[in-house]
Amino acid sequence: MVSLNEEVIRKVIAEVLAEMVPSSETGKKAESASVPKAASSMKLVEKGEAEKSSDPRDVAIGISPGFGVGFNETIVGTPHSEVLRQLMAGIEEEGLKPRVVRVSHTCDVAFIGKKAAELSGSGIGIGVLSRGTTVIHQKDLSPLQNLELFPQSPLLDPETFRAIGRNAAKYAKGESPVPVPTKNDPMARPRYQGLAALLHNKEMRFVDPKKGPVEIEVAFDR
Amino acid sequence: MVPIVAGIDIGNSTTEVALGKVENGQVEFLSSSLYQTTGLKGTTQNVRGVKMALGLALEKIGFGREDFSKIDVICINEAAPVIGDVAMENISETIVTESTMIGHNPSTPGGVGVGKGRTVHINDLLDVERGSPVIVVIPSNWDYEAASEAINSAIEKGISVEGAICQGDDGVLIANRISKVMPIVDEVMSIEKVPLGMFACVEVAPPGRVIEVLSNPYGIATIFSLSPEETKHVVPVARALIGNRSAVVIKTPSGEVKERRIPAGELYIDGASGRRTVNVESGAEAIMKALVESQPIKNIFGQPGTNVGGMMERVRRTMSNLTGLPVSDIHIKDLLAVDTLVPQKVVGGIAGEFSQEHGVALAVMVETEKLPMSQLAEAISQETGVRVMIGGVEAEMAVRGALTTPGTKKPLAILDLGAGSTDASLMKENGDIDLIHLAGAGNMVNTIIASELGIESMELAESIKRYPLCKVESPFHIRQEDGRVRFFDNPLSPNLFGKNALVVEDDILMPLELDIPVERIREIRRRAKREVFVANSMRALERVSPAGNVRLLDYVVLVGGSALDFEIPSMITDALSRFGVVAGQGNIRGTEGPRNAVATGLVLGFASKGLPVK
Repeated sequence: MVSLNEEVIRKVIAEVLAEMVPSSETGKKAESASVPKAASSMKLVEKGEAEKSSDPRDVAIGISPGFGVGFNETIVGTPHSEVLRQLMAGIEEEGLKPRVVRVSHTCDVAFIGKKAAELSGSGIGIGVLSRGTTVIHQKDLSPLQNLELFPQSPLLDPETFRAIGRNAAKYAKGESPVPVPTKNDPMARPRYQGLAALLHNKEMRFVDPKKGPVEIEVAFDR
Repeated sequence: MVPIVAGIDIGNSTTEVALGKVENGQVEFLSSSLYQTTGLKGTTQNVRGVKMALGLALEKIGFGREDFSKIDVICINEAAPVIGDVAMENISETIVTESTMIGHNPSTPGGVGVGKGRTVHINDLLDVERGSPVIVVIPSNWDYEAASEAINSAIEKGISVEGAICQGDDGVLIANRISKVMPIVDEVMSIEKVPLGMFACVEVAPPGRVIEVLSNPYGIATIFSLSPEETKHVVPVARALIGNRSAVVIKTPSGEVKERRIPAGELYIDGASGRRTVNVESGAEAIMKALVESQPIKNIFGQPGTNVGGMMERVRRTMSNLTGLPVSDIHIKDLLAVDTLVPQKVVGGIAGEFSQEHGVALAVMVETEKLPMSQLAEAISQETGVRVMIGGVEAEMAVRGALTTPGTKKPLAILDLGAGSTDASLMKENGDIDLIHLAGAGNMVNTIIASELGIESMELAESIKRYPLCKVESPFHIRQEDGRVRFFDNPLSPNLFGKNALVVEDDILMPLELDIPVERIREIRRRAKREVFVANSMRALERVSPAGNVRLLDYVVLVGGSALDFEIPSMITDALSRFGVVAGQGNIRGTEGPRNAVATGLVLGFASKGLPVK
């Protein structure tokens, strides 16, 4: 028990340290490879209070209080810039408009997703936590219901985020997409539960119960 | 003590019970019930289902489920010695050689227009000489941002990029990021199979339209400057692309697309005028024509070693096991063939294309002299301790039961629409009965629905057959298949959101995981029902009606499980009304609907004979 805790704490400390080093170096490496991949980082600019949109093409992505601020990557090291880029690409590919809002009053993925859905012109929203947990929500559902839930954050890779964005857009178009195939790893829970709890505690530090949702403009660096 | 009589009808899929008090030839019906038939009908496996059905009927009048001693006599019918089977045969396939075309329908292709040029890998895009048009091929390990940048810099360098084929679902993303409008076909799964350095044409139609150039043989001929002979060879390509929003055609030295007929075997029909041979791949119409010409049919065989042959032997063997008769004594007496369209993966396709191939659904029916009912009667008697009588032919009992429908009189024809067979019987004024069993009923409809929708599960097909469709448009409202909207006070379950669903009961919706429009599913369902039940009803009535003239019938009552369907009875009523025939769903005893005709008939038959009870 003690050794496990120590190990987990070490891992988190290592993560926090890694965060302090700017990640531009790794980004450059990726770009110099023969097949250029993702953008490595992004700027999130707050644009004031988020308002309910009336554009039916709009699908809102609600990011958690610490997303891209206190954290730069998910529980398995997928950069937050990549998470957001893939979600937005999935929505754009279907011909809809992605929009990002930060929800600060809670770090419960269900409520973040529900809030995003309420702000979204199409009534469809995506909620995503810093550690990667994601949900597709609809404005008329109760908070703890959902259209699709991806509870095992360690199993979400960029392709899954793209597919989540795509399905959210399809719901917004009134189509009935095949649910994103979710992987299931029985070992994910024992292996990541401790870490997930610590990441949750860390995210809690960014919660501000008095702060309303904020419109975010995303600029990806290349 | 007034004796209580139970009439039990064991059918292919359900066992029905009618309980009645019999006094001085008069019957007072107490209750009725139905339960799923256990095992093949006519075998001792049925006993379990019989006991359950009896128990349910007893329960309704306040007795316990095991109180069989309250019943004085059980009457079972001489079950029609008929079983059926259905099979599907694919009779065409599309083969693409040398990856000459990409004809799938990605939901979101990018850009718009027609682009032509030589195919080039995106790695080599910047080395292409200026002035020669190219189609760029983008594998999915190229991110859409990087691919767009590469295309933009190629365009800046003066390279004429005319279109793109990409592996990922990136068509719109790339189209939104490049400086030129060009057609982009995406989601091409096996992109490594796209031949490089070949002349190709990419076409994407505007939203809501379908491609016009590549689906026209002369359009293809214009683009690739084909000779009149070569143009003949591209007809299958053009045909395969009709109705798509996007497509790619690549000119390779000897590649082509062909539609091949699959040899599905021959049917040998032994009839009055000798043996007729008909090929299954020549389609349902030819098969049914041969069948009509061979009436009355003595036996039907399938070519050994083919699926059809296998199916015929399977039915014969099942019946032989059931009756103990040798296989050679069992005759297939009827067959129904229906043309279907089956979505099949294109052989050699590079984007996982499907094409609608032709198929034939076949139902066959075997008939023997008698089923071993006495064994079953003994088994029921042993299990329940009640005396069991085998009374009457099924058809006679069914007519007797059907006559309890208000508004009917002799002469009366009944159509028994079951799961395995469609039966017709006609009771003339003098009480004589003509009877016919035909292949093809509910199970065949399921087979057609399953194959046309490309679903595996027969239970799902059964549900689609049975319930009307709707589209869930919001958590609070659905649009039903007739276009009407229905609202709900409480939100529907989220797993229904945006889905097509079946309206199982008023408020119970069952989501369908099928990405097929409601209209199309409805059309397939209705066509399957019409081609099986309406066609079979006409076939059956022509055979029992006086002088083969349906107009001479007055009353036709529909009974049996499939007569409970929400649209089959009205389809038949509609078809028969043109002959001036009153046809409609039966309402046995004025209360039971089209169910329980035979069971009711058995009790009435017992009463009319006035047999001693003890």
